[in-house]
Amino acid sequence: MLEKMDDGEISNAFPLQNPSTGASNQPPVLKRKRNLPGNPDPEAEVIALSPKTLMATNRFVCEICLKGFQRDQNLQLHRRGHNLPWKLKQRSSKEARKRVYVCPEKTCVHHHPSRALGDLTGIKKHFCRKHGEKKWKCEKCSKRYAVQSDWKAHSKTCGTREYKCDCGTIFSRRDSFITHRAFCDALAEETARVNAASNISNYSIMQNPLGPSMATHFSSFFKPNSCPEEPTPGSQTSKGLSLWMTQTQAHETIANNNLHEFHQLGSATSPTSIYGGGGNPLAPCSNPPSSNYQLNWVFGNKLSSNGNQDLSSTASLPLVNDIVKDNPNLQLISVPSLYSSQHQSHQTNSANMSATALLQKAAQIGTTSSDPSLFLGSIGLKCNSPGQDGNKFCGLYGSSSVLTSYDADNNYSGDLSQMPPSKRRHLQNEESAWGQTRDFLGVGGANHLPPFINQGMDLI
Amino acid sequence: MGFMRQEEGSSSVISSPLQLFSMMSLSPSLGSPNNALLREMKSEERGLYLIHLLLTCANHVAAGNLENANTTLEQISVLASPDGDTMQRIATYFMESLADRILKTWPGIHRALNSTRVTMLSEEILVQKLFFELFPFLKVAYVLTNQAIIEAMEGEKVIHIIDLNAAEAAQWIALLQVLSARPEGPPHLRITGIHQKKEILDQVAHRLTEEAEKLDIPFQFNPVVSKLENLDFDKLRVKTGEALAISSILQLHSLLAWDDEALRRKSPLLLKGSNGINLQRVLPLSQSTLGDLLEKDVVNGYTPSPDSTSSSPASLATSNSINMESFLNALWGLSPKVMVVTEQDCNHNGPTLMDRLLEALYSYAALFDCLESTVSRTSLERLRVEKMIFGEEIKNIIACEGPERKQRHEKLDKWFQRFDLAGFGNVPLSYYGMLQARRFIQSYGCEGYRMRDENGCVLICWQDRPMFSISAWRSRK
Repeated sequence: MLEKMDDGEISNAFPLQNPSTGASNQPPVLKRKRNLPGNPDPEAEVIALSPKTLMATNRFVCEICLKGFQRDQNLQLHRRGHNLPWKLKQRSSKEARKRVYVCPEKTCVHHHPSRALGDLTGIKKHFCRKHGEKKWKCEKCSKRYAVQSDWKAHSKTCGTREYKCDCGTIFSRRDSFITHRAFCDALAEETARVNAASNISNYSIMQNPLGPSMATHFSSFFKPNSCPEEPTPGSQTSKGLSLWMTQTQAHETIANNNLHEFHQLGSATSPTSIYGGGGNPLAPCSNPPSSNYQLNWVFGNKLSSNGNQDLSSTASLPLVNDIVKDNPNLQLISVPSLYSSQHQSHQTNSANMSATALLQKAAQIGTTSSDPSLFLGSIGLKCNSPGQDGNKFCGLYGSSSVLTSYDADNNYSGDLSQMPPSKRRHLQNEESAWGQTRDFLGVGGANHLPPFINQGMDLI
Repeated sequence: MGFMRQEEGSSSVISSPLQLFSMMSLSPSLGSPNNALLREMKSEERGLYLIHLLLTCANHVAAGNLENANTTLEQISVLASPDGDTMQRIATYFMESLADRILKTWPGIHRALNSTRVTMLSEEILVQKLFFELFPFLKVAYVLTNQAIIEAMEGEKVIHIIDLNAAEAAQWIALLQVLSARPEGPPHLRITGIHQKKEILDQVAHRLTEEAEKLDIPFQFNPVVSKLENLDFDKLRVKTGEALAISSILQLHSLLAWDDEALRRKSPLLLKGSNGINLQRVLPLSQSTLGDLLEKDVVNGYTPSPDSTSSSPASLATSNSINMESFLNALWGLSPKVMVVTEQDCNHNGPTLMDRLLEALYSYAALFDCLESTVSRTSLERLRVEKMIFGEEIKNIIACEGPERKQRHEKLDKWFQRFDLAGFGNVPLSYYGMLQARRFIQSYGCEGYRMRDENGCVLICWQDRPMFSISAWRSRK
C-alpha cells in the first residue's frame, strides 16, 4: 500500500546506482517478490523524506472532531461516520515502481541509496530510534525508547523472565542468553571440568562448532533455486547460532524457525528493522526474524513447569528445565550406551536408561543367562517369585514351541539387526544353541537349555 | 489330545531372546515385590521387570489364561505410570492395550465402556500439530516430498497434486514458496486434498489459498471428503495427460486391513494366524472344530457375516473389493509423474499377537525415547502425543484384529514389492533432496535422529533403528 507524502517529499527519480562496494554484477533476471534486507532493488525509486515527515504521526486530521490518523485511508473511513463526503483512493496500479527510502541524516549509514530501506514504516521507526529523542521510559528499569511500540514491547517483557549466566550477566531473552553462554569463559571452565569427569568424550560440542551458517540452511531447504543470501551481520552471529543450536535441545527453535519458514519465508520487514535499527543492546547476536514471537508462543505452551529433578546437573542455573537439558553431560544420559555398544550395560546411568537400551538389555539377559540365578545377581532385590506360575505356562509353551517350526526367524533376525555388531556376534552364538534345541527333538541333549524346555518335553 | 489346542500364534513365544527373558523366573528377587521394595526399585530394574511382566501378560492373553493375565496386569499397573520414566509410560499403554484386547471378548461390556468416549475435533487437530512439531519426521517427509515433486515437475506449467491426507497445510505452503521462486515463474497449482473431516479440509483450503494469494500463484484447492477405503477416484478429477503428483504420508498401511479381510473371506482355514483365540469362557471345546474356531474369532466379538445380507464394513469393503492391490492399481491408472510415500518402517503387521507385540515394543520404545530426550517429563504436550497418538496406535496393533486393525505398518521392502507389482518404478530421491534432509536432521538439535539412504529411499532413524521410510515412485508403462 503506497502512501503519498504531501509535504517534504523529495523524490529521486533515478534508479539505484550499484554501490562501489559489494556486488557490481548485473542483477539476475529472477522474478523475486521481495528483496532481501539490505539489498534494495536496483530498479527501485529512491525517496528521501524530510525529518519532519518521518517523525510525524497522525498527520491526517478530521476537521470535525480533530482526531488524528496516520493514513489518509483511515481518515476517509472515519469521515463516513460524520456523514462527510469521503473518497478512498484506489491502490495504485502495478506499474508504480517499487519505492525505497533513505534516511535524511547524513551521518547515518542508511543515507546512501545503496543501503536504503524498503519499508516506509521501517524508515520512520529507524529515524525515530536513531536520530530522535527518547521520550518513552520503562517503569521498571532505566531503558528509554524513542518509538512507542518499542517501549510497549519492552515493558511487556521487562522483568518477566530472567536468565542469569554464571558470570553474572542477566538476560531477558533466552536466545541471547544461550548465545552468550556459548562464549562465556566462566561456563567454559565449568563444562570442561564436567566433561573431564564423565566418560563421554565423543560428544564435545564446544570444540566442534558447525562450519556453515545454520541460518542459511533453513532458507535453502525451501528455496532450492536461490542461493543462501541472507546476510548475517558478521560471522559471529551465525557461529553463535549454530553453537546454540547444537548445544541446546533447540528443537523448539528449529521447529519455530521452520514453521517460520513454512509461514513467512522471505519476509523482509523484521530483519530490516533489526539490521537498520542497530539499537539492539545485545550486540553480537541478531536474532532470526520473528523467532521472537515463536519462542514466546513456545514458552506459553510447553515446558512451562519445572521438572526433571533427577536430571539436575552440576550447573547451578536457576532456570526452567529445558535449560537444564543444555548441559551436554545430561544430554547423553538418556541416550546412553548405544554410542559405545561394548559398554552397554555398564556405562548407563541406571536412573535414566532409555527404553531401547532396556529392551536390549532384557534380550541380552534372556540369551546370556539361561540360569536364573545369574539374573538374580544382576538385579539384586529380594522377594517372592511367581516361579510356579511361570513354570506352569512355560511348560505349555515349551511344548508348542518345540512342536512348531522355528518360524519366527524374521522376528529374531529383526532383533539382531537392531543390535550393535558386538552383541550380534554374541547372539549368534545363542542362535546355534537354539539349533541344538531343535535337534533335541530327535537327537541328544543340549545342556544350554532353560529348565522349562525339559518340562515341555514331558507334556508331549 | 484332550486339552484345547493352542493357537499357532502363541507358539512363537520363545522365538526371541526378549521373550526368553520373560520366561525366566525372574528369580526370587523380582517376583512380587512388596510396596516398600517398589519404592526402592531403581528405574532400570523396574524397567526390566516391566518388560518381563508385559511379555508374560501377553503370553497369558495369547494363551487365553485370563486369570493369570489379570494377575499380571495388576502387577504391571502398580509399576506403570503415564508420567513416569520412559519404560513406565510404554508399559502403561501396552498394559491398556492388552486389557482392551481381553475385554473385547465381552463385546457388550467393551462397547458399553467405550460408549462415552468422545474425541473432540480440536483435540485431534492439536495432537496432530504436536506430532508435527515435536518430531522431525513429518518435516523431513515434507522436505523430501516437495523436493521430489519439484524435480519431477520441472518445466510443467500446470501441476496437480493429490494429497491422501490433507490435514497439515505447512507442507504445501512450503511448496508454494519454492514454486514462487522458480525462474520461469510459478505454475498453475491445483491441490486435491482428501480427508474424512470437512472442517479440516476447510482450514487447509483457507490457509493455502491465503498463501497463494500472497505469493501471487494461481491456485485451486479441491476438497474431497472421504475415507481412503471408500475413495471414489472420479471425484479426484484427474485430467488425462496432466502432470500429477501424489503424496501419501502414513496413509497406505490402513488399507492393508482390507487385504486381511478379503483373504479371510476366501479361505479361513488358510489364514496364517487369525488369533482365533478360544478363551475359556466361550465354547464347549469338544464340539467345535478348528475351522469354526478360526471363523468365529471371538476375541473381538467380530463375526464375518455371509456375503450379501450384512451391512458390516467388511462386506462393504469386499463388495467394493477395495484392497491394497486395487487401490494401488487405481493410483497407477491415474498415471502420476511421481508418487511419494512416507510410511512407518516397522513390522507391526505380523500374524500373531506376540510377533506384533515384540516389534511394537521396540518401535515404540524408540519413539518414546525420542520424546524423553527432547521433551520434559512434565510436558502436557508430550503426554498428549503419547496418549492420543502412540497409545491409540498401540491399542490398535495389540487389541484389534481384522479390518479394525488399521495400524498395519510394514517395512520398506514389503512396500517395494507391492509398488513394483502394481506397476510402479522406484525413483531414487535426489542427492539435493537428501542433502537438505540430512542437514535438517543434523541441525535439529538432537543427536539421536539419523538418516539413512537405502536404495534411493530415505530411512529416518532413531539411533540405529529405522522409524520412517520415504520413497518416490512413478508409474511404469
